[in-house]
Amino acid sequence: MVNAHKRVVVTGMGVVSPIGNGLAELSKQVFAGLSGIKKIDAPFVEQLSCKLAAQANFDPAAYFSKHTYSMLDRTSQMALHTSIEAVKHAGLSVNEALQPRMGVYLGTGMGGASSVEEGYVRLFKDGASRLKPFTVLMSMNNAAASAIALEFQITGPNQTFSTACSSSAVAIGEAARLIRHGYADVMLAGGAEALLTFGTIKAWEALRTLADEDQVDVSRSCKPFSLNRSGLVLGEGAAMLVLESLEHAQARGATIYAELAGYGSANDSGHITQPSVKGQLATMQAALSDANLPPQAIEYINAHGTGTVMNDATETNAIKQVFGEYAYKLSVSSTKGAHGHLMGAAGALEAVITLLALNSNTLPPTINLAQPDPACDLNYVPNTAKTLPSLDCVMSNSFAFGGTGAALIFKKLSLK
Amino acid sequence: MTTPSNTTPSLEEISIVLAKMIADKMEIDVATITPTSNLTELGLDSLDTFDIIFNAEDHFKIKVPNDQVNIETLQDVTALVHKLILSQQ
Repeated sequence: MVNAHKRVVVTGMGVVSPIGNGLAELSKQVFAGLSGIKKIDAPFVEQLSCKLAAQANFDPAAYFSKHTYSMLDRTSQMALHTSIEAVKHAGLSVNEALQPRMGVYLGTGMGGASSVEEGYVRLFKDGASRLKPFTVLMSMNNAAASAIALEFQITGPNQTFSTACSSSAVAIGEAARLIRHGYADVMLAGGAEALLTFGTIKAWEALRTLADEDQVDVSRSCKPFSLNRSGLVLGEGAAMLVLESLEHAQARGATIYAELAGYGSANDSGHITQPSVKGQLATMQAALSDANLPPQAIEYINAHGTGTVMNDATETNAIKQVFGEYAYKLSVSSTKGAHGHLMGAAGALEAVITLLALNSNTLPPTINLAQPDPACDLNYVPNTAKTLPSLDCVMSNSFAFGGTGAALIFKKLSLK
Repeated sequence: MTTPSNTTPSLEEISIVLAKMIADKMEIDVATITPTSNLTELGLDSLDTFDIIFNAEDHFKIKVPNDQVNIETLQDVTALVHKLILSQQ
């Protein structure tokens, strides 16, 4: 990073996703190109015109006492669980010395959406005269980050980022900056989202950005970069990273999965929903500049690749403008055809997938890419994972309604 | 104040229902809860107590006024609920 005070590394990861909970299961499914998209399992399914969703198989009772999970929205439950998993994965002992030097930055688009909706149903539909005592505490957007701090008794910076679909990528990038500039030694950073409620899905239906059901196989309904793509599929889940200063990680002998070498964020400033090449290229260029790397250093991009007509063509154009002719040499894939769009958790899940790619020298495929689109003419790793002799430097893109983009660059750690 | 009807639960019956609610919420053995059990010592914080009162309101079809703050033990809640059942029937 330019003007780096401290280098930032990733030492732990935890994940709950529509294609598996835990790194082993996620890794198996994402590289095999398996999809977690299904007809939604919900009582309101027949009232939906788009019945698809990417649901996570997550039962809070398997991980928490009833007293704990009954006070937490599903978003917070998944955020807390993945944070505990990430800390375990990092082999980190959160002791009294560390607690003031460790914080939480978490991204979520809609926070406690299901608690809000449950309250509204009670009031407006069932005619109840009062709401549950925990409604505010379960609904507030910072509930998840707060629950994590309480769990580990960590008193460092605790903030929640809400920039729609880029929320958790922003949280990770901003957390890295804190460590870089010495405000914290360790950060839990990532995101969580659980918005598969009747009201939220209806709101998304109205935006006309959701994918049509594939007539042959509903699991293949989200088709990033394919000519016949028709939209995104809503998903839920959480992913948390343990970020740490290099010196802190080295001092405790931690396994280092990558260096977070660069982070850039910019805004489209064009239209509330339509992505702009201008904003996306500014985002990627900001990350490259932050990492002090030339475009040619990037070997793989995990694209935002939502599967909407507009996003995928715009992102392709932005990549071409940033990388020039080299855009045709690097690999780009979107894994959203498999895990759907996790909204506020998307950037964090895709950061984890990008890190798995870096550590296995294997690129996850863009599944359901059956019909090449002339407007999307890069190497998208179609349908089958690709193992390379080596992989050193990768980027993960996140863009969003509201225009805030975030790009993260991860590199294998080099101590030269 | 109305006179107790046949359906008015006794203090003991109310206490059993409340103890079960507390045991269920806190995941503790109901046998460990006695009328003089202190709610804080059972692990309930103020929000947990609000939640028990909320559930009691549903169960006994009563409305607990906002100023009921002197609740320390199970028998305090029991007495409050009993009083409200009688006055709100």
